[in-house]
Amino acid sequence: MTEKQVKIEVTDGASIPDSNDRGIFNAWWVSFIGAVGIIAYLIITKPDPYRDILLFVPDGIVVTFEVTICSIFGALFIGLFTGLGRISSNKFINLVASTYVEVVRGIPLLVQLFYIYYAMGRVLQVPDMLSAIIAMSVCYGAYMGEVFRAGIESIDAGQTEAARSLGFNKNETMFLVILPQAWRTILPPVGNEFIALLKDSSLVSILAVADILRRGREFAAESFQYFETYTMIALLYLLITLILSKGVSHMEERLNHYDR
Amino acid sequence: MLKRIIVVLMLTMFAAFPAMAGSKAPVVTIASDCTWPPMEFVNKDKQIVGFSVDLMKACGKAAGYEVKIKNVAWDGIFAGLAAGKYDAICSSVTINEKRKKVMDFSAPYFAVQQSVVTNKASDAKTLADFKGKKLGAQIGTTGYFAIKAVDGVIPKSYDEIGLAMEDLFNGRLAAVVCDDPIAADFALQQEDYAKKLKIAFVVKSDKAEYLGVAVQKGNKEILNLIDKGLKAVRADGTYDKIKAKWFGSN
Repeated sequence: MTEKQVKIEVTDGASIPDSNDRGIFNAWWVSFIGAVGIIAYLIITKPDPYRDILLFVPDGIVVTFEVTICSIFGALFIGLFTGLGRISSNKFINLVASTYVEVVRGIPLLVQLFYIYYAMGRVLQVPDMLSAIIAMSVCYGAYMGEVFRAGIESIDAGQTEAARSLGFNKNETMFLVILPQAWRTILPPVGNEFIALLKDSSLVSILAVADILRRGREFAAESFQYFETYTMIALLYLLITLILSKGVSHMEERLNHYDR
Repeated sequence: MLKRIIVVLMLTMFAAFPAMAGSKAPVVTIASDCTWPPMEFVNKDKQIVGFSVDLMKACGKAAGYEVKIKNVAWDGIFAGLAAGKYDAICSSVTINEKRKKVMDFSAPYFAVQQSVVTNKASDAKTLADFKGKKLGAQIGTTGYFAIKAVDGVIPKSYDEIGLAMEDLFNGRLAAVVCDDPIAADFALQQEDYAKKLKIAFVVKSDKAEYLGVAVQKGNKEILNLIDKGLKAVRADGTYDKIKAKWFGSN
């Protein structure tokens, strides 16, 4: 056993609650009950405008999830090949994958969105939703590539050696032996990226995609109730990410179960 | 002790600065969303120019106050006024009942209509002809409200009118609705756009639309200054000169 590695986790995802923490006075429960409580309180005591806001945004929530879910699959797809490319012994493939990661990580997501929708629009008319999904997939695919790479590298080299000596070829080793095992390491950060992606999806409102934020802005622009609208929008995002982070926490717990 | 003296000195300085400024001509800070040519926009030299910019400066000169224009994004421009970040908004704001409830308006300074910009090939005559198609406008503008009021069309709200025009040019929108001077500037003045776009028609409305300068509800002081200025520039012909400069003689 090598010495214990210190891991510092800093991501822009939500903080994933510790599944061993069973008490009700932890940050997750306080935030969750707080968010639900405030939303309920506001709707009951001041239905105008809070209830109106809540009735105005549901189609925005659907759009936000559509963009997020499609993008995460796109990002997983791109990420898998980027990760494989990054550990490839083929120098050319390695260079292509590394350059992609370098370029994408160096450009802000907002600029990428503008680029794919408005700048490329002169040549190629990609619909707004698709543009949003492509931009988010390309951006998060680069991050996901790093997750895949770390996941694959975490599998003991002995596994590869054993598979190869049993007659598996390189691809079979990767897809039948290494990746199925790497999934366990990969899944939790993927959950984290999903939450980060959901929050970043608020940027697509710049493409006039009617997500939660765009709906909120439309409401505020017409009613001038900026405080009320953005309070509600913030609480909604918080509630969604809280529920998702709880889900990721459960997933981590179940995966840990197999480690014992 | 020294720290305390410094703090006191700093405080007196802060207190004294506005007082000193007060002895000179008052400064009125005006917010404009400078993406709305030719009314208010940023030119190639990064200067804020336009019809309403010239008008506001002339008003200030006539009524004896100094005008400072601040470039503020449209989405949130009213929130900034309510929060007291600036004294007034002069950004082609149409005077309407809904807005009058939360802010006060100067005398109207310009009349506009909502123009519909389309592809040259389009033969639509009313907004209802765009059934099932995507129409764009800037968020929170009267143009957007006009689209939303039509049944069966898909309204899309953009942060800036320029982005909506670009989308129309690229073929992702059927039409864009905005104030007529802006429509004319985009569809007729910009070379690329002029080749492909046209002003198809004007949205018929039972009420005339006027632009006004918005101030915080109850801010009589600033409102009086602006109204005084507007009256003066209209009386001495400066208004007509500015109008001729930006829209030609007509």
